[in-house]
Amino acid sequence: MSVIDPEIAGQLAADLPREDFVRILRTFEADLGRLAQQLEAAVANGDQEGYRRAGHSLAGAAAAVGATRLERVARIAMDHHNPADPRALSVSVRQEAAAALVELAALADNPPISR
Amino acid sequence: MAAAGARILLVEDTPTQAEVARALLRDLGHEIRLAESGAAALAQALEWRPDAILMDIELPDFSGFEVMRRLRTEGLESAIIVVTAHGSVNHAVEAMREGAVDFIVKPYAKARLTVTLANALEKRALVSELAEAKAQLSRDRVLGFIGGSPAMQAVYRTIESVAASRANVFITGESGTGKELAAEAVHKASPRRQKPFIALNCGAIPRDLLESEIFGHVKGAFTGATDNRLGAARMADGGTLFLDEIGEMPLDMQVKLLRFVQTGSFQPVGGSKAERVDVRLVSATNRDPWVEVEAGRFREDLYYRLYVVPVEMPPLRERGADVLLIARHFLASFAREERKAFRAYAPDAERALTAYPWPGNVRQLQNVIRNIVVLHEGTRVEPAMLPPMLLRLGAPRGLEPEAPPPARVGPPRTPESVPRIGPESVAPPTAWIEPAPTPAPAETAPQAFEKLAVVERRYIMTALDHTAQDIPRAAALLGINPSTIYRKLQGWKAEDERG
Repeated sequence: MSVIDPEIAGQLAADLPREDFVRILRTFEADLGRLAQQLEAAVANGDQEGYRRAGHSLAGAAAAVGATRLERVARIAMDHHNPADPRALSVSVRQEAAAALVELAALADNPPISR
Repeated sequence: MAAAGARILLVEDTPTQAEVARALLRDLGHEIRLAESGAAALAQALEWRPDAILMDIELPDFSGFEVMRRLRTEGLESAIIVVTAHGSVNHAVEAMREGAVDFIVKPYAKARLTVTLANALEKRALVSELAEAKAQLSRDRVLGFIGGSPAMQAVYRTIESVAASRANVFITGESGTGKELAAEAVHKASPRRQKPFIALNCGAIPRDLLESEIFGHVKGAFTGATDNRLGAARMADGGTLFLDEIGEMPLDMQVKLLRFVQTGSFQPVGGSKAERVDVRLVSATNRDPWVEVEAGRFREDLYYRLYVVPVEMPPLRERGADVLLIARHFLASFAREERKAFRAYAPDAERALTAYPWPGNVRQLQNVIRNIVVLHEGTRVEPAMLPPMLLRLGAPRGLEPEAPPPARVGPPRTPESVPRIGPESVAPPTAWIEPAPTPAPAETAPQAFEKLAVVERRYIMTALDHTAQDIPRAAALLGINPSTIYRKLQGWKAEDERG
């Protein structure tokens, strides 16, 4: 099962010149590294608001490029009522982020429709 | 505005989201800036005044809705599109309530963003146009003029449009409509405003002196030319030369003016070298210039050189509510000058002022109001204080003056208190000062009054003495046109020669 939504990511790749799409992926990669760290730090410090905010930003970044599985995981962090273990969740975030990056990079090399 | 070239502020704290939006907007030709927090959004929006804002709601410091509230308080009119990951109806309703023009859910495709933004910008452009139109309608004091009538709006628009160019301007209009004020407005609204504005009344200067007045002369050029003298063209260098009553200019002088207009250079009277200046010409006449051309009194080639941008000053009778705006302005101004208590007009007086056709235009209205202020007392101008011509021609029935005794009837006033009497005033301001119902004692009247012509001559000569025979300054002191003094001096000289 794909970790990205082909409709969203594919549309983006189709709408934009390759260099723009690649720039977005690099920005996304940098965001993932920074936000995953923030999420882990919030978990370590028991900082609930930091945990929620990092989850929100991760979800937003993931949604923008169609990384839907990562978005779903990140949204769990935004939900105070979800009983998911934050430590386990932060591990999932790392895994989903890595998977999304691989698929997006492939998409950048082979965009569905040429602009 | 709805097309390319708009200012777009992205308010987005997630770099990926911002980069996506920026990339999708890149080839639309807009200028795009990014704010990553609520505080940064407020600062940038107020400083940069974007046409549209793409507003994320969840920001690190405070919500996008709070940013919108604060921007609205500051009066910012940018079109705001709320961008959110939550596609709920509640969010949409709240966004609209806070003044958003539209709402877009992340993630969005390029087409959706493009259409939403184009619609928002178009709406914003319409709002701006409406505000501009309203501002135009409410403009009742522009460029030194008073009045917001459609006829004057057209004048303002023409002056504002032409001011920045070098094009020659030709102002037409009846006497007293403000042609010189319009010429000054062209100058003041132009890039030449820091340079001189030189006005010359071609009808007020004897024909044989006109060339010297415009182009100057060198010492010894003619009898009495004891020094070099700069002409108006040289004095206006870099600025504006206003030639009033251009229709009065003799044909031989028109040839010289034509050469000057064509080449920008002239030769002072008696001089041997051509001088070059950079002057913008504004001309005016109360005649129809083309009729003058057809009658052979004005050169056609000069007409085409000067009549580049026509400005027609509307007569006061075509300016509707402007009459009252101007009358109130004069009342306040003259009451202050004369230390009188007048503050307003009685409704019937206002009706009479509005209904009268004002053949002498603003200058006549000015004279009427000044005389009311000078001759009467009170806080309100009553119909009885108006000149009978207004009541006969302009007022509804039943407004004939009952007992309008002037506040004071006495000996001639000193020059300082003489009302401004324009040379072209159709109705001399004192024309309605008829014998009061309670006249001064008969035996004192002969001693109290001198013949008006005698008083007039004495006043003008006193003003000339006071200004070392400087006719324009004396005219300014007396509030009359210099041409009046020139004409009077010629008349008195002829009288004296006759004996």
